[in-house]
Amino acid sequence: MGIREKGYEHWDGTLMEHRHPWWPITRLGIKLAFRKKSFKFVFAGAFLPAFVFLAGVYVSERIEDFQNMFHSSSSQKFFEVNPAFFRTYFSNDSLLFLMIMIMVFAGAGLIADDLKFNSLQIYFSRPIGKKDYVLGKCAVLLFFLLLLTVVPGLLFIIFKMVFAGSFRFILDYPWLPLSILGYSAFLSIFITLYTLLLSSLNRNRRYVSILIFAVYIFSEILYGIFYERFREQYFSLLSIKSNLQQIAAFFFRVRSPFRVPVVYSFLILTAICLISVAVMRKKIRSVDVIK
Amino acid sequence: MEIRTRMTIELKDIHFSYGRTVALDGISLSFDGGAVGLLGPNGAGKSTLLKILLGFLTPASGQGCVLGYDIRLERSRIRRAVGYMPEDDCLIAGMDAVTFTAFFGELSGMPRQEAMKRAHDVLFYVGLGEARYRLLETYSAGMKQRLKLAQALVHDPRLLFLDEPTANLDPQGRQEILELIQDITSHKDIQVLLCSHILSDIESVCSNVIILNKGRLAAQGKISELRQLNYRLYELRIKGESDEREDAFLGRLKDLECRFEETEDRLIKAYLPADRDLLALFRVAAEEKVQIRHLVRSQTSLEDLFAKAVGVD
Repeated sequence: MGIREKGYEHWDGTLMEHRHPWWPITRLGIKLAFRKKSFKFVFAGAFLPAFVFLAGVYVSERIEDFQNMFHSSSSQKFFEVNPAFFRTYFSNDSLLFLMIMIMVFAGAGLIADDLKFNSLQIYFSRPIGKKDYVLGKCAVLLFFLLLLTVVPGLLFIIFKMVFAGSFRFILDYPWLPLSILGYSAFLSIFITLYTLLLSSLNRNRRYVSILIFAVYIFSEILYGIFYERFREQYFSLLSIKSNLQQIAAFFFRVRSPFRVPVVYSFLILTAICLISVAVMRKKIRSVDVIK
Repeated sequence: MEIRTRMTIELKDIHFSYGRTVALDGISLSFDGGAVGLLGPNGAGKSTLLKILLGFLTPASGQGCVLGYDIRLERSRIRRAVGYMPEDDCLIAGMDAVTFTAFFGELSGMPRQEAMKRAHDVLFYVGLGEARYRLLETYSAGMKQRLKLAQALVHDPRLLFLDEPTANLDPQGRQEILELIQDITSHKDIQVLLCSHILSDIESVCSNVIILNKGRLAAQGKISELRQLNYRLYELRIKGESDEREDAFLGRLKDLECRFEETEDRLIKAYLPADRDLLALFRVAAEEKVQIRHLVRSQTSLEDLFAKAVGVD
C-alpha cells in the first residue's frame, strides 16, 4: 500500500469550543448500538408492553363493546385506567426484563470496550473532561430508557383523553404527568448507572453482559429464597425489581406491594447509584498508573 | 511565578512522583520548532513527561507551558492545539476508520461535516484511503499505527506528540511511517515531539533531542551540537608489551575522564572530553609503554550520545 496517495493540507477552519462536548459521544453510542441486529430486535420488542397497555387504554373507553369478554367485575377493573395502571406498566416484570436486555446489548461495552481497546487516552487527549465522557455514555442509555418510559407514559394519557373525548382524566389526576416524568427519570438513571458500574468493572464485554443480567436475576432469586424461608417482607430489599416496584408505588400514589418503608428502597437504589459514580471516578482515567 | 513564552514547550523544575517512586526530578527544558526526539531508558520518565505535557498528570511542583498555554490551567486549549498518537493500540470496536477519525476531529472542536471531510483527506494522506470503510478490528498492526497518526492529525494540530510511532512495525512499515513524520515536520509546519526507544528513528527524523535518565534531564540540544560539544570520539587500536600493560593504559584513560568501549575485534572507542587534549592520550600510552597503531576521529552516532548521557557502557 502506497503512502501519501494524497498530500497533506492544512485545515483552514477554526476549532470551536463545544457547548455540549458529550453530545458526539452520545450520538456515536446510539449509532453503534443500532448497527447491531440483535439490539434492533430487542429494542423493537421492548415496545411490546407499551402496545399492549395502549390497547388496554382503548379497551377501557370501549368497555361496553367488549362486555361479552368480561364476565366479572375484577376483569373490568383490570382495564380501568388510573394511577395503578401506570404503576403496573412501569414496574411490570416484562418491561424491566426488556430494559435489562437492552442494557446487555447497548450498555455492556460502553466503558468495557474503551478499557479493553485503550481508547480512553485518545478521548482525553481531546478537550473533553471525565464528566463529559461519563455524561456522553449515560446519555446513550438514557435515550433508550426514556423512549421506553416517558414516551409511552405520556402517550397513554394523551390517548386516554383522545379516546374519551374529554379532559376529565387529566383533571382527575393532574399530578400524573409529573409522576411519569419523575419515576421515568429515577428508573432510567438507576438502570443507566447500574449498567455503567458493571461496564467499568471489567474489560470484557461478554463478562459484563452476563453480570448485568445475573446481578438483576440473582437479586430476585435471593429475595425469593429468603422470603420462602423466613416469610419476612423486608427481604424484598435484596431485590432490584422489588425496590423499583416500591418506588413506582410511591411515585404513582398507590399502595406499596411490600410492607416495607419506601425510604429503605430509595436509600438502597441511591446507594448503588453513588457506588457507580465512585467506581467510575476511579476506573475512568486517561493514565493507567502501574505501581 | 508564571511563565509565558513563545517557545513550543517550556518546563521549569517539574517534579512528579507515583507514590514514593520519583518519576521526574526537577526537569527544566525548552525547545522551539522542528522535530524533537525524547529519549531515555525504561523508567526514565519519558511517558510521564508526555502525560504531563498533555495534562493527563499534574506535576507536584514546577511550571510549564505548551504552545504558550499553562500545563496546569489551560489543559483544554493544549489538547485542542496538539495531536497525540499513543503507544498502545487504540480503537473503538465496531467502527470504520472514517467514522473513527471524524469522531475525534469533532471531539477536538471541528464542525461535524468538516470533520468528516477532513477525515477522508487525512486517511488518504496516511495511506488508508482504500481501507477507510473497513472495520477497525480487521486492521493489521501497521494500519493501526497509521490510523493513530490520522486521528492525531485530523484537527490539524500545531504540535504532534508521537509515542513510539514505529512500534510493532515491519521494516517497510517503519520506513513508511518515518517518511510520513519527516514529511509532516519538514513541509507541513507541524512541530513534533517524538518519543522512541529506537535511536535510529529519532536520528533520521529529529534535529533536536532530549535525553532523560532516572527522572532527570541528561542532555538536551541539537544532535549535531551535542555530538561536537560534549566529547570527541576516537577509534583506536593498541599494542602493549603485555595484556597487563594494555589494561593499565585503559585504566589510565579513566583518570582522564575518558570513557571507552572495546569491540570484539579489539577496536577501542574512546570518548574524550572536549576540554582534554588528544596529546594526553599519547602521553599515557608512552608512560604505559603501549603503541597506538591506529587512531581515527569518528562520527558520533546518537547511540553513542545516548550511551554517554545515561552512563551506559
